[in-house]
Amino acid sequence: MKVKVVKKILEANDRIAENNRKALRDKGVFCINLMSAPGAGKTTLLSRTITALKGRFRFGVIEGDIQGTHDAEVISALGVPVIQINTEGACHLDANMISDMLPEMPLDDLDVLVIENVGNLVCPAEFDVGENAKVMLLSLSEGDDKPLKYPLMFQKSEALIVNKMDLLPHLDVDIEKIRGDVKALNPELRLFEVSCRKGDGLDPWYTWLSERIKR
Amino acid sequence: MHELSIAMNILEIVTQTCREQGYQRVDSVSVRIGRASGVMTEALNFAFECARSGTVADQARIVIEEVPVGGHCRDCGKGFQVDEAFVFACPLCGGTAFQITSGHELELAELEVDDEG
Ligand SMILES: Nc1nc2c(ncn2[C@@H]2O[C@H](COP(=O)(O)OP(=O)(O)OP(=O)(O)O)[C@@H](O)[C@H]2O)c(=O)[nH]1
Ligand SMILES: [Mg+2]
Ligand SMILES: [Zn+2]
Repeated sequence: MKVKVVKKILEANDRIAENNRKALRDKGVFCINLMSAPGAGKTTLLSRTITALKGRFRFGVIEGDIQGTHDAEVISALGVPVIQINTEGACHLDANMISDMLPEMPLDDLDVLVIENVGNLVCPAEFDVGENAKVMLLSLSEGDDKPLKYPLMFQKSEALIVNKMDLLPHLDVDIEKIRGDVKALNPELRLFEVSCRKGDGLDPWYTWLSERIKR
Repeated sequence: MHELSIAMNILEIVTQTCREQGYQRVDSVSVRIGRASGVMTEALNFAFECARSGTVADQARIVIEEVPVGGHCRDCGKGFQVDEAFVFACPLCGGTAFQITSGHELELAELEVDDEG
């Protein structure tokens, strides 16, 4: 016998994500889901951003990695509360993992919770974790073909940080193509071209982020 | 790799439905997967086969309907479908005032069950 069961496959995840969002809203915490391919510079950007803005906002961080505590140690050295989630193979964080960790975070003392997702250009885009904004990094060394090969994350993000601009002279990468493809995929996407290593181009990002947090 | 989580989410809904309705065995699970959803059908097939054992869908096939990306254009007023995972312009008139109407689906559609036990 055939039975119709029309349901969203990620319904359970989306429901838990909605609960997370509400729990964070009740505490007045703005939540960012930071996503990129492995090694694009999420932890470096986060360190810079926390250092630049910690006089204005109280940050907390959840670090998602397949294994290890390296990133959490880097963030912890900045003096902000951080929790490491090891996904043990899973290539993304889901709403349930975040929901388990929220009670461990001192939410009363935070303005911003940044969730550094597992380095992966595809999977994290699919899973709402309860964030208010998805922010994505693309490093120049990944190549200019990435937006069209992996459109989903570009389409779902509010801001795109093109990182490692210091490498532009050394790479065979067409930055105009990245700009054009990204604009076509998501006309609303805010684009920031930066070098987290040198610290170039970050001020517009800090300004945008500060306004977004306060909104 | 997130196809495994997708497969596990599917099996969770299937298991719950069978528990509620008293179905003893599932022969097939039909799903609709949008071309722009980021899920690869071969990977989902494989993940489902790995994840189904020990569940009520132990022997079940997964039937995947791939849903192409489609939209509706406000410039020419027509609906369209494309082969890619994204649309830059209406393929009929070249206009850019369009709305995407399909291609992001991740849905369970139908189960084939044995209700005799
Ligand atoms: N040249 C250059 N290297 C950079 C820049 N930003 C980060 N890096 C380097 O890129 C490497 C990866 O940076 P991370 O910040 O660890 O990247 P990530 O995205 O957090 O990596 P995962 O968490 O492992 O996915 C490090 O060696 C950084 O020093 C940059 O602007 N330019
Ligand atoms: Mg990192
Ligand atoms: Zn048209």
